[in-house]
Amino acid sequence: MHIADGVIPTGVAVGCYLAAGGCVAVSLRKTAAEDLPKVAVMTSAFFVASLIHVPLGPTSVHLLLPGIVGIFLGWSAFLAIFLGLLLQSLLFQFGGLTALGANALMMGLPAWAAGAVYSVLASKGGARAPLLGGMCAAFAVFLAAVFLGLLLASSGEDFFGVAKLAMAAHVPVAVIEALVTGFVVAFVHRVKPELLQAGVAGGANR
Amino acid sequence: MTVTMVSWKEAVMWGCAGLLIPLTGWALFLLVRRSDSRDAERADEEPDEWRVPELTVVGASRSLLHRWDPRFKVCSLLFFAFCAVSVQRLPSAMMGLLIAVGTLGIAGIPFRFALKRILAMVGFLGMFFLVMPLTVPARPSDTVIVVHGLEAIRFNPRGLWVAALIWTKATAVAVLMEPLLRTTPFPTTVRALAALGVSKKLCQMLLIMYRYVFVFRHEMARMWVGMSVRGFRPRTNGETFRVFGNFLGMLFVRSLERTQRVHEAMVCRGYQGEFPMLERFQGQRRDWLLGGFWFLLGVGMILSDRWGVPHLVGPGPGLWR
Repeated sequence: MHIADGVIPTGVAVGCYLAAGGCVAVSLRKTAAEDLPKVAVMTSAFFVASLIHVPLGPTSVHLLLPGIVGIFLGWSAFLAIFLGLLLQSLLFQFGGLTALGANALMMGLPAWAAGAVYSVLASKGGARAPLLGGMCAAFAVFLAAVFLGLLLASSGEDFFGVAKLAMAAHVPVAVIEALVTGFVVAFVHRVKPELLQAGVAGGANR
Repeated sequence: MTVTMVSWKEAVMWGCAGLLIPLTGWALFLLVRRSDSRDAERADEEPDEWRVPELTVVGASRSLLHRWDPRFKVCSLLFFAFCAVSVQRLPSAMMGLLIAVGTLGIAGIPFRFALKRILAMVGFLGMFFLVMPLTVPARPSDTVIVVHGLEAIRFNPRGLWVAALIWTKATAVAVLMEPLLRTTPFPTTVRALAALGVSKKLCQMLLIMYRYVFVFRHEMARMWVGMSVRGFRPRTNGETFRVFGNFLGMLFVRSLERTQRVHEAMVCRGYQGEFPMLERFQGQRRDWLLGGFWFLLGVGMILSDRWGVPHLVGPGPGLWR
């Protein structure tokens, strides 16, 4: 769920912009300059993947993908999420332009977290990759839901009810996201394992 | 806090009247989708959600907004958008919406473009309309409505006003996006951002994405057609999730291979980390005047919101308290 314009207080929106700007700068610095075009192309793939709606009973949900972006891109993940959300806002109005900072933090920080957890646990070689990937995805969606709840609650007590409902709506999303991500990781593990180990083209995770 | 008791009959009557609003919205949504699928040539198998709009230049091409220097346009309209989302009373929010619609008219952009943006927010903003009247805490000045025999559920009309205020502000900015993005070619807008000091690397990535999103969307559609003719129909079951997982995994693997080729092709053509700038922006007096006008408009809106306009509809200021 993306926050639209005019929901969160302007002070919070501007503060989130500054924080997201800092994260983008970190993400840019951690990505090798010659890899930037590759990250951009990969981000386009994640962007179209988020257009896919998975049927859920009578309705359908679209994939959020913070977990998988984090696992594939490592440090570049925040950059990818920021640009993806910017383009999404410009093209579709999913998430307002004034709330872009808040939306980027809400998805970008979980992506970083999921990527970090995955790379630490996968290098230990304990759990199997698909299971681990699925759990990281659910964890990222859960974190995003918490951020969304906090941001909505920052608008005052009038918004507490909406915040609770929005967080509850993420439970089925987290389950589906975990399942699909598990299968994606299993597939990539079989077909092109270097994508999981090294990040995009081997350079993005430095 | 005042409590108004209503009978079952009245509650049902008002409930039906209230349902008319979402139903109208739904009808509009279906209408837009119908007109969309009529003018788009595409494979029937492809789901509607995959359609990615291009930010083409439309409208009266010699309008004031089309001729405005994009650097000034981006700055002024973004500043105004931030002012428009900062207001806390419904009348000033409506003024913002009026200004946005007026700008759309001056640019000569058909309203259906803006309507598509508004409809994209229906899910998120509809949640506010449904939830807020039932969950907003009652303030001393509020009147809550309670149905006779169902005392646990309190309907607070102030929640509706808050939802309406948010909807109006979000819609104003959504409408304003059209004159901002559809009066200059998208690459020029991005170069204007770069000229304004936004990181050149970010702008470049945005341009690459704006190209490859459409490439991958077609790739995805091709794969989807292949899956459909082999009999795949998405349902809510484990098999569907597995197929979706393989589908996305394949998409990512192909994309990764493509990134390599794209990068090599770029290097072959002399790419050294920067795209050449084709435009040279030059601000004229008209650009500065228009920018100043929008600045004053935004500041005026904030000032009148705090101290000016008598609040004609809804409760007074008090969002974000």
